[in-house]
Amino acid sequence: MTDPRLTEPVSARSLWIVIVVLGLIGLTTVLLTAPANTLMGPGAWAIRGALHGTCAGLFMVTSTIGLFQAYRIFAGKVWNLAELQIGSVINAAMALLTIISGNWIYIPYRTSGGPRSHFLEVAPEIHQVFFEFKEFAALFSFPLAVVAAYLLVRYGGELYERRGLSTVIAALLVLVFFYFVVTFGLGAAITKLKSV
Amino acid sequence: MATTSSSTQLTTGPAAAALLAAGLGLLALGLSHVFSEASVPFKDAMQALGNAWMPGASGIGPYSGKETVALLVWFSSWVALHTAWRKRDVSLVAAGIWTFMLIGLATTILWPPVTHVLVK
Repeated sequence: MTDPRLTEPVSARSLWIVIVVLGLIGLTTVLLTAPANTLMGPGAWAIRGALHGTCAGLFMVTSTIGLFQAYRIFAGKVWNLAELQIGSVINAAMALLTIISGNWIYIPYRTSGGPRSHFLEVAPEIHQVFFEFKEFAALFSFPLAVVAAYLLVRYGGELYERRGLSTVIAALLVLVFFYFVVTFGLGAAITKLKSV
Repeated sequence: MATTSSSTQLTTGPAAAALLAAGLGLLALGLSHVFSEASVPFKDAMQALGNAWMPGASGIGPYSGKETVALLVWFSSWVALHTAWRKRDVSLVAAGIWTFMLIGLATTILWPPVTHVLVK
Protein backbone atom coordinates (compact mmCIF):
# COMPACT_ATOMS: atom_id res chain seq x y z
CA MET A 1 0.00 0.00 0.00
CA THR A 2 1.34 3.41 -0.99
CA ASP A 3 2.20 5.85 1.75
CA PRO A 4 -0.41 8.68 1.41
CA ARG A 5 2.27 11.26 2.19
CA LEU A 6 4.01 10.33 -1.08
CA THR A 7 0.90 10.75 -3.22
CA GLU A 8 -0.24 14.03 -1.69
CA PRO A 9 0.16 16.81 -4.30
CA VAL A 10 2.73 19.43 -3.47
CA SER A 11 1.44 22.99 -3.51
CA ALA A 12 3.78 25.09 -5.64
CA ARG A 13 2.17 28.26 -4.27
CA SER A 14 2.97 27.26 -0.68
CA LEU A 15 6.55 26.55 -1.68
CA TRP A 16 6.92 29.97 -3.30
CA ILE A 17 5.41 31.67 -0.24
CA VAL A 18 7.92 29.90 1.99
CA ILE A 19 10.79 30.94 -0.31
CA VAL A 20 9.66 34.58 -0.44
CA VAL A 21 9.15 34.77 3.35
CA LEU A 22 12.56 33.23 4.00
CA GLY A 23 14.10 35.64 1.48
CA LEU A 24 12.50 38.64 3.20
CA ILE A 25 13.65 37.46 6.62
CA GLY A 26 17.18 37.01 5.29
CA LEU A 27 17.17 40.42 3.58
CA THR A 28 15.85 42.17 6.69
CA THR A 29 18.49 40.48 8.86
CA VAL A 30 21.25 41.49 6.45
CA LEU A 31 20.09 45.09 6.21
CA LEU A 32 19.75 45.40 9.99
CA THR A 33 23.12 43.89 10.77
CA ALA A 34 25.14 45.21 7.81
CA PRO A 35 24.00 48.52 6.29
CA ALA A 36 23.66 48.47 2.52
CA ASN A 37 26.36 51.07 1.94
CA THR A 38 28.83 48.98 3.93
CA LEU A 39 27.84 45.85 2.07
CA MET A 40 28.32 47.43 -1.34
CA GLY A 41 31.49 49.31 -0.56
CA PRO A 42 32.51 52.93 -0.87
CA GLY A 43 33.20 53.08 -4.62
CA ALA A 44 31.23 55.23 -7.05
CA TRP A 45 30.28 52.09 -8.97
CA ALA A 46 29.26 50.09 -5.89
CA ILE A 47 25.69 49.47 -7.04
CA ARG A 48 26.84 48.13 -10.42
CA GLY A 49 29.39 45.91 -8.74
CA ALA A 50 26.87 44.61 -6.22
CA LEU A 51 24.33 43.91 -8.97
CA HIS A 52 26.82 42.03 -11.13
CA GLY A 53 28.11 40.11 -8.12
CA THR A 54 24.56 39.17 -7.12
CA CYS A 55 23.68 38.02 -10.64
CA ALA A 56 26.89 35.99 -10.87
CA GLY A 57 26.26 34.49 -7.44
CA LEU A 58 22.74 33.43 -8.42
CA PHE A 59 24.02 32.11 -11.74
CA MET A 60 26.54 30.05 -9.80
CA VAL A 61 23.63 28.43 -7.97
CA THR A 62 21.56 27.75 -11.11
CA SER A 63 24.50 26.51 -13.18
CA THR A 64 25.56 24.20 -10.35
CA ILE A 65 22.04 22.81 -10.20
CA GLY A 66 22.27 22.47 -14.00
CA LEU A 67 25.45 20.45 -13.60
CA PHE A 68 23.69 18.08 -11.20
CA GLN A 69 20.75 17.83 -13.60
CA ALA A 70 23.19 17.02 -16.40
CA TYR A 71 24.50 14.10 -14.38
CA ARG A 72 20.99 12.83 -13.71
CA ILE A 73 20.00 13.15 -17.35
CA PHE A 74 23.16 11.48 -18.61
CA ALA A 75 22.96 8.67 -16.05
CA GLY A 76 19.33 8.04 -16.99
CA LYS A 77 18.16 8.53 -13.42
CA VAL A 78 14.55 9.37 -12.69
CA TRP A 79 13.97 13.08 -13.00
CA ASN A 80 11.14 15.52 -12.68
CA LEU A 81 10.63 16.99 -16.13
CA ALA A 82 8.88 20.19 -15.00
CA GLU A 83 11.71 20.81 -12.52
CA LEU A 84 14.27 20.38 -15.30
CA GLN A 85 12.40 22.69 -17.66
CA ILE A 86 11.85 25.49 -15.15
CA GLY A 87 15.39 25.17 -13.84
CA SER A 88 16.89 25.38 -17.30
CA VAL A 89 14.86 28.48 -18.20
CA ILE A 90 15.93 30.19 -14.95
CA ASN A 91 19.52 29.16 -15.70
CA ALA A 92 19.34 30.83 -19.13
CA ALA A 93 17.73 33.94 -17.63
CA MET A 94 20.50 34.22 -15.02
CA ALA A 95 23.12 33.86 -17.76
CA LEU A 96 21.53 36.78 -19.62
CA LEU A 97 21.22 38.97 -16.51
CA THR A 98 24.85 38.27 -15.58
CA ILE A 99 25.99 39.32 -19.06
CA ILE A 100 23.86 42.49 -19.04
CA SER A 101 25.10 43.50 -15.58
CA GLY A 102 28.62 42.57 -16.73
CA ASN A 103 28.31 45.00 -19.63
CA TRP A 104 27.22 47.66 -17.16
CA ILE A 105 30.20 47.11 -14.85
CA TYR A 106 32.54 46.89 -17.86
CA ILE A 107 32.04 50.65 -18.43
CA PRO A 108 33.81 51.75 -15.22
CA TYR A 109 36.40 49.01 -15.75
CA ARG A 110 37.42 50.74 -19.01
CA THR A 111 37.25 54.35 -17.81
CA SER A 112 40.41 56.37 -17.46
CA GLY A 113 41.98 55.52 -14.11
CA GLY A 114 39.94 52.34 -13.82
CA PRO A 115 41.22 48.78 -13.40
CA ARG A 116 41.98 48.40 -17.12
CA SER A 117 44.42 51.29 -17.25
CA HIS A 118 45.86 50.20 -13.89
CA PHE A 119 46.54 46.67 -15.14
CA LEU A 120 47.95 47.88 -18.47
CA GLU A 121 50.38 50.02 -16.51
CA VAL A 122 51.54 47.59 -13.83
CA ALA A 123 50.81 44.09 -15.19
CA PRO A 124 49.52 44.16 -18.79
CA GLU A 125 49.05 40.39 -19.01
CA ILE A 126 46.26 40.53 -16.42
CA HIS A 127 44.14 42.57 -18.81
CA GLN A 128 45.52 41.34 -22.13
CA VAL A 129 45.21 37.64 -21.32
CA PHE A 130 42.95 36.93 -18.39
CA PHE A 131 40.40 39.73 -18.61
CA GLU A 132 40.14 39.60 -22.40
CA PHE A 133 39.49 35.87 -22.25
CA LYS A 134 37.04 36.29 -19.39
CA GLU A 135 34.95 38.88 -21.22
CA PHE A 136 34.41 36.50 -24.14
CA ALA A 137 34.13 33.25 -22.19
CA ALA A 138 31.34 34.94 -20.22
CA LEU A 139 29.24 35.14 -23.38
CA PHE A 140 29.40 31.40 -24.09
CA SER A 141 27.12 30.38 -21.24
CA PHE A 142 24.07 32.22 -22.53
CA PRO A 143 23.49 30.57 -25.95
CA LEU A 144 24.38 27.17 -24.52
CA ALA A 145 21.92 27.61 -21.65
CA VAL A 146 19.24 28.84 -24.07
CA VAL A 147 19.65 25.81 -26.31
CA ALA A 148 19.55 23.43 -23.32
CA ALA A 149 16.33 25.08 -22.11
CA TYR A 150 14.83 25.07 -25.62
CA LEU A 151 15.51 21.35 -26.08
CA LEU A 152 14.14 20.50 -22.64
CA VAL A 153 10.96 22.50 -23.22
CA ARG A 154 10.41 21.43 -26.85
CA TYR A 155 11.12 17.72 -26.53
CA GLY A 156 9.96 17.24 -22.94
CA GLY A 157 9.06 13.64 -22.22
CA GLU A 158 10.80 12.39 -25.36
CA LEU A 159 14.07 12.67 -23.46
CA TYR A 160 13.19 9.38 -21.80
CA GLU A 161 13.30 7.63 -25.18
CA ARG A 162 16.05 9.54 -26.98
CA ARG A 163 19.51 8.84 -25.65
CA GLY A 164 21.23 11.15 -28.16
CA LEU A 165 19.08 14.11 -27.18
CA SER A 166 19.55 13.62 -23.46
CA THR A 167 23.32 13.27 -23.97
CA VAL A 168 23.48 16.52 -25.92
CA ILE A 169 21.47 18.38 -23.26
CA ALA A 170 23.70 17.01 -20.51
CA ALA A 171 26.79 18.13 -22.45
CA LEU A 172 25.33 21.62 -22.91
CA LEU A 173 24.61 21.99 -19.19
CA VAL A 174 28.14 20.84 -18.35
CA LEU A 175 29.56 23.43 -20.76
CA VAL A 176 27.39 26.17 -19.25
CA PHE A 177 28.90 25.34 -15.87
CA PHE A 178 32.42 25.15 -17.31
CA TYR A 179 32.29 28.58 -18.99
CA PHE A 180 30.65 30.04 -15.90
CA VAL A 181 33.38 28.72 -13.59
CA VAL A 182 36.15 30.02 -15.87
CA THR A 183 34.52 33.45 -16.02
CA PHE A 184 33.64 33.60 -12.35
CA GLY A 185 37.11 32.53 -11.24
CA LEU A 186 38.88 35.06 -13.44
CA GLY A 187 36.41 37.79 -12.49
CA ALA A 188 36.85 37.14 -8.78
CA ALA A 189 40.63 37.11 -9.10
CA ILE A 190 40.70 40.35 -11.12
CA THR A 191 38.34 42.03 -8.64
CA LYS A 192 40.61 41.06 -5.76
CA LEU A 193 43.56 42.65 -7.56
CA LYS A 194 41.78 45.90 -8.47
CA SER A 195 38.06 46.54 -8.19
CA VAL A 196 36.11 49.26 -10.01
CA MET B 1 4.69 -0.90 -31.35
CA ALA B 2 8.05 0.76 -31.48
CA THR B 3 7.21 2.16 -34.91
CA THR B 4 4.05 3.78 -33.60
CA SER B 5 6.00 5.40 -30.79
CA SER B 6 8.68 6.76 -33.07
CA SER B 7 6.17 8.01 -35.67
CA THR B 8 4.62 10.34 -33.09
CA GLN B 9 7.98 11.74 -32.01
CA LEU B 10 8.99 15.26 -32.91
CA THR B 11 11.57 15.58 -35.67
CA THR B 12 15.15 16.21 -34.59
CA GLY B 13 15.75 18.95 -37.19
CA PRO B 14 14.80 21.82 -34.82
CA ALA B 15 17.15 20.43 -32.14
CA ALA B 16 20.02 20.21 -34.63
CA ALA B 17 19.24 23.73 -35.85
CA ALA B 18 19.34 25.16 -32.33
CA LEU B 19 22.62 23.41 -31.59
CA LEU B 20 24.44 24.43 -34.75
CA ALA B 21 23.16 28.01 -34.59
CA ALA B 22 24.66 28.43 -31.10
CA GLY B 23 27.98 27.11 -32.37
CA LEU B 24 27.90 29.44 -35.38
CA GLY B 25 27.06 32.44 -33.19
CA LEU B 26 29.99 31.73 -30.88
CA LEU B 27 32.36 31.20 -33.81
CA ALA B 28 31.17 34.56 -35.20
CA LEU B 29 32.06 36.10 -31.86
CA GLY B 30 35.56 34.66 -32.08
CA LEU B 31 36.10 35.71 -35.68
CA SER B 32 34.79 39.22 -35.09
CA HIS B 33 37.30 39.61 -32.26
CA VAL B 34 40.21 38.33 -34.37
CA PHE B 35 39.28 40.58 -37.32
CA SER B 36 38.81 43.49 -34.94
CA GLU B 37 42.31 42.99 -33.55
CA ALA B 38 43.72 42.72 -37.06
CA SER B 39 42.01 45.69 -38.66
CA VAL B 40 41.34 49.18 -37.30
CA PRO B 41 38.48 49.85 -39.79
CA PHE B 42 36.84 46.58 -38.70
CA LYS B 43 37.23 47.57 -35.06
CA ASP B 44 35.62 50.94 -35.84
CA ALA B 45 32.79 49.12 -37.60
CA MET B 46 32.26 46.97 -34.49
CA GLN B 47 32.06 50.10 -32.37
CA ALA B 48 29.56 51.68 -34.78
CA LEU B 49 27.46 48.51 -34.83
CA GLY B 50 27.25 48.47 -31.04
CA ASN B 51 26.49 52.17 -30.90
CA ALA B 52 23.59 51.63 -33.28
CA TRP B 53 21.41 49.94 -30.67
CA MET B 54 23.09 49.05 -27.40
CA PRO B 55 22.72 51.43 -24.43
CA GLY B 56 26.14 52.40 -23.07
CA ALA B 57 27.94 50.88 -26.06
CA SER B 58 30.44 53.71 -26.25
CA GLY B 59 31.58 52.81 -22.73
CA ILE B 60 32.44 49.22 -23.58
CA GLY B 61 34.08 49.87 -26.94
CA PRO B 62 34.04 47.45 -29.89
CA TYR B 63 33.02 44.66 -27.51
CA SER B 64 29.44 45.84 -28.03
CA GLY B 65 29.70 45.25 -31.78
CA LYS B 66 31.19 41.80 -31.31
CA GLU B 67 28.29 40.87 -29.03
CA THR B 68 25.94 42.19 -31.71
CA VAL B 69 27.58 40.12 -34.44
CA ALA B 70 27.31 36.99 -32.29
CA LEU B 71 23.63 37.66 -31.59
CA LEU B 72 22.83 38.38 -35.25
CA VAL B 73 24.60 35.26 -36.55
CA TRP B 74 23.12 33.11 -33.79
CA PHE B 75 19.51 34.18 -34.32
CA SER B 76 19.60 34.43 -38.11
CA SER B 77 21.25 31.03 -38.52
CA TRP B 78 18.80 29.54 -36.01
CA VAL B 79 15.84 30.86 -38.02
CA ALA B 80 17.35 29.70 -41.33
CA LEU B 81 18.31 26.23 -40.12
CA HIS B 82 15.03 25.76 -38.25
CA THR B 83 13.09 26.68 -41.39
CA ALA B 84 15.13 24.26 -43.48
CA TRP B 85 15.07 21.33 -41.03
CA ARG B 86 11.85 21.71 -39.06
CA LYS B 87 10.18 18.71 -40.71
CA ARG B 88 13.28 16.55 -41.08
CA ASP B 89 15.14 14.17 -38.84
CA VAL B 90 18.75 15.30 -38.64
CA SER B 91 21.48 13.31 -36.89
CA LEU B 92 21.89 14.77 -33.43
CA VAL B 93 25.24 13.04 -33.07
CA ALA B 94 26.58 14.84 -36.16
CA ALA B 95 25.00 18.15 -35.14
CA GLY B 96 26.41 17.79 -31.63
CA ILE B 97 29.91 16.98 -32.87
CA TRP B 98 29.90 19.95 -35.28
CA THR B 99 28.56 22.26 -32.60
CA PHE B 100 31.14 21.27 -30.00
CA MET B 101 33.90 21.60 -32.61
CA LEU B 102 32.71 25.14 -33.43
CA ILE B 103 32.62 26.00 -29.72
CA GLY B 104 36.11 24.57 -29.27
CA LEU B 105 37.40 26.54 -32.24
CA ALA B 106 35.79 29.74 -30.97
CA THR B 107 37.31 29.22 -27.52
CA THR B 108 40.74 28.58 -29.02
CA ILE B 109 40.86 31.68 -31.20
CA LEU B 110 39.58 33.81 -28.30
CA TRP B 111 42.43 32.70 -26.03
CA PRO B 112 44.56 35.88 -26.23
CA PRO B 113 47.96 34.23 -26.96
CA VAL B 114 46.34 32.45 -29.93
CA THR B 115 44.56 35.61 -31.03
CA HIS B 116 47.83 37.52 -31.03
CA VAL B 117 49.51 34.82 -33.13
CA LEU B 118 46.64 34.92 -35.64
CA VAL B 119 46.72 38.69 -35.87
CA LYS B 120 50.48 38.92 -36.49
